[in-house]
Amino acid sequence: MDAYLKAFWLPKEGCTEEEYEDAFFPRNVSSLTGERLRFAVADGATEASFSKLWARLLVRAFVRRSLTLPFTLDELKPLQEQWAEAVHGKELAWYAEVKVASGAFSSLLGLELTENSATDATERQWRAVACGDSCLVQISADQILRSFPLSESAAFTSRPNLLSSLAGAEVDETGLVAECTGTWTADDQFFLMTDALACWFLKQSEFGKKPWSLLKEVETGGQTSFGDFVAELRTNGELKNDDVTLMKIELLPSTPGWD
Amino acid sequence: MADAFSAGEVAQKKADGVADAINRMLQNLVIKCAKEEGIRDYFEVGVIGYGAQVGPAFSGTLAGRPMVKISEVGNSPARVEQRSKKVPDGAGGLAEQSIRFPIWFEPVANGGTPMCQALTQAKGIVEGWVGQHPNCFPPIVIHITDGESTDGDPTSLADQIRKVKSSDGEALLFNVHCSSQKAQPVVFPNTEAGLPDQYAQQLFRMSSNLPPQMANLAKGEGLNVTEGARGFVFNAGMVEVIKALDIGTRPSALR
Repeated sequence: MDAYLKAFWLPKEGCTEEEYEDAFFPRNVSSLTGERLRFAVADGATEASFSKLWARLLVRAFVRRSLTLPFTLDELKPLQEQWAEAVHGKELAWYAEVKVASGAFSSLLGLELTENSATDATERQWRAVACGDSCLVQISADQILRSFPLSESAAFTSRPNLLSSLAGAEVDETGLVAECTGTWTADDQFFLMTDALACWFLKQSEFGKKPWSLLKEVETGGQTSFGDFVAELRTNGELKNDDVTLMKIELLPSTPGWD
Repeated sequence: MADAFSAGEVAQKKADGVADAINRMLQNLVIKCAKEEGIRDYFEVGVIGYGAQVGPAFSGTLAGRPMVKISEVGNSPARVEQRSKKVPDGAGGLAEQSIRFPIWFEPVANGGTPMCQALTQAKGIVEGWVGQHPNCFPPIVIHITDGESTDGDPTSLADQIRKVKSSDGEALLFNVHCSSQKAQPVVFPNTEAGLPDQYAQQLFRMSSNLPPQMANLAKGEGLNVTEGARGFVFNAGMVEVIKALDIGTRPSALR
């Protein structure tokens, strides 16, 4: 299959690009070809320190298959060590030391798309894992087919579970990481979003609108046009002032589909 | 006679406790505003000491400064002590961990309680601040005292502080009363009835009503806060005082 990728991101209004604490991977790639492709977005928690680094470590590890699908918290250990090494290698002020001691937190949403043409009928599947409130939405035939892990805008109000950069920080592993599977067909689109945009997206569809069509108009104008679009939503109070990340994946099967 | 502590020692212990509380409060404020790239300036802070003298009470390089940005406070403690703290050892027990404890404010226990002078100075700073920042979150004055003013009735000065306004509301005056009386601690009462002496009652009347948002935070901390609660704390243990100070200064922008 060929996957065509567009990514857009923005820090909170009033913050610099340096202060953007979401992460996504792959970066700076517009198309990928393969039988098994992975994508990920993550949202580093603002209250903690060094969350940006933690979010980046998570998305890269997932996409480079250092994490299985679904993964266990034990698999995060090497990443937690990398985080600790990077953070403790620095000369820290007393207040930064206090922050580091409580660890960094991040959501993670990982998507794997597969196309298996070994059998008679080509199987086109997807699997996803999620911890926290970063979401994926699958659009098929101009409709929302699936939304994961949250499926309605009202679900964004609670404080999400997040992955900690400290081993053993999670008290209860049960239900921390959710998993989902599905199938895809030619011309399907996947939108991977961090919480603010995902909440807006689902709310629009609850109002009977098609946010994916709106975003299509915006994306032709590139990052600048995306920036204007987000600024307007924030001004109108439609979008929470938070870091925003959107990764859109369009798919083209390598063989004409029978399905 | 075998008094465990002399009057001087009691005063010193109380002064140590107050200094510790203020240093912890400053630490908490800094930590709330700290990110990996540094400290974001959500606040400016001033500390006025009063006793033999009345004036700015930061020690070290900040000495003499009436108001200091929180980033500068965080980066300029007078000194940093090593203290030990008990932390979970991961195996069900506790382990000692060495932590850095920054100090800005040194304990002072010397005569007099010139409360009117101190509140006059606080009022001047609050008025100046609101003049420069007319749309700010209203300034918060946290007054920590052992009770009896030695330079007159402070009531009208307290009223004047509470009437200083930004477009967002009136300035808040909280009173923390550390009395040497052996009386039950009281946290955020809604009536002066039951307070042990006239000084406590006066300080209660001088205190602002706890704004709803802070009352909710206090409830969230497990404190019994009812309608009409005031920003007044009497003889509370240091932990409760710190909670009160924290609640009083938590910025709405931070969760």
